[in-house]
Amino acid sequence: MPRYAALIYGSAADENNDVAPDAWAEIMAQYNAFGEEAGAAGVVGGGEALQPTSTATTIHVTGGKRGGDVVTTDGPFAEAKEVLGGFYLLDCADLDDALKWAAQIPGAWLGRVEVRPCIDFSQG
Amino acid sequence: MQGDALAETLRIEGGRVLATLIRWTGDIDLAEDAVQDAILIALERWPRDGAPSNPAAWLTTAARRRALDRLRREANRTTKERAAVHLLDDDENWRQPAGVGHDQLRLLFTCCHPALAPDVQVALTLRTLCGLTTYEIARAFLVAEPTMGQRISRAKRKIAMARIPYRVPEDHELPDRLPAVLATLYVVFTIGHHAVSGQLDARVAPRGRRRPAGAVGGGAHARRA
Repeated sequence: MPRYAALIYGSAADENNDVAPDAWAEIMAQYNAFGEEAGAAGVVGGGEALQPTSTATTIHVTGGKRGGDVVTTDGPFAEAKEVLGGFYLLDCADLDDALKWAAQIPGAWLGRVEVRPCIDFSQG
Repeated sequence: MQGDALAETLRIEGGRVLATLIRWTGDIDLAEDAVQDAILIALERWPRDGAPSNPAAWLTTAARRRALDRLRREANRTTKERAAVHLLDDDENWRQPAGVGHDQLRLLFTCCHPALAPDVQVALTLRTLCGLTTYEIARAFLVAEPTMGQRISRAKRKIAMARIPYRVPEDHELPDRLPAVLATLYVVFTIGHHAVSGQLDARVAPRGRRRPAGAVGGGAHARRA
C-alpha cells in the first residue's frame, strides 16, 4: 500500500500565542476523533505532533560527509508564516484516497495540510 | 489505405489506443512509446499488406506487445515487472471494446485532476487525448518548447509518483471535479479554433470545426441550380 505523508502546517503566530485551555481541548478532541476514525480504517501508519518551531535546532554539516564541521543554528530551517506542526503517515491506495483522509485532519481547517507521497525503497 | 487516410486513421485510433494503454500500464511515457511503436509498424505494413479490418484492435494488440517488450527489457525494476504481469494476466479486459471510450473519459479526468495546475491540465489533455506534439502545445501557450516539455514531464511524473488515479469520479465527487474538465475542454476547443500550426484545428476539434468557405460555396451552387 502506498504511503503518504500528510504534513500539517499552521500559522507561526498561532504557534507562539497561548491557546485558551478550552479551545485547546476542542482541537485535541477533533484530532482524537480523526485518529480514531482513520485508525479504525487502518489508514494511519504513524504520525507525531511537533513542539513549536521555537524549540527547533537546525544543523548543517560542512566540509564533507560524517566528521565534517557541524554548524548549529537556533530555530527552524526556514522562517515562514506557516510552520510544520506535525504529520501523519497515511497508507492509501491512491492520491484521491489520501486527499480524502487528509481533508479530515483538523489541521486542514485550522491551517493547511500538504500531502506528499513517500518513496518506497523496497521497490525499484 | 494510403497517405492521408492512413495517417488520419492512425491518429484517431492511436489516441483511443493510448488511453487504453495508459490504463493498463499506469505509465503515460511507456504507453506513448508503445503506441508510437505500433503506429510505426502499421505505417510500414498496412500500405504493403492492406489495412486490417479492425484497425483499433490491431493497434491495441501491437502496442500491448511493444509495451510488454519494453517492460521485459526493464524487468530488473520490480514495480515494472509487476505491472507487466498485471498486463499479461488481464487478457480478458483487453478484448472489451466498450471500454475504449470509457478509457478516454477516465484519462480526461486524470489529466484534469485538481492536484495538477490548470495550465498543465490543458497541456496534458492536448498531449494525451488530442495527440498534439509538445511543439504545438508550446506554440498554443506561447512558451518555449523545452519549457512546455518540462511542464508535461513534471506532470506525468507527479501522476506516477503521487498515484493520481485513472478513474471517472463517483457521482458525489463530480460537482467538485467536473468544472476543471469543462474548463479544460473549453480551452482545448478554443485552441482548436485558433490553429497554431497546419491542421491543428482539425485535430483538436474534428467534429466542431466549421467550414464557412465550403458552406458558402454549397449555398451559391444550390441557388444556381
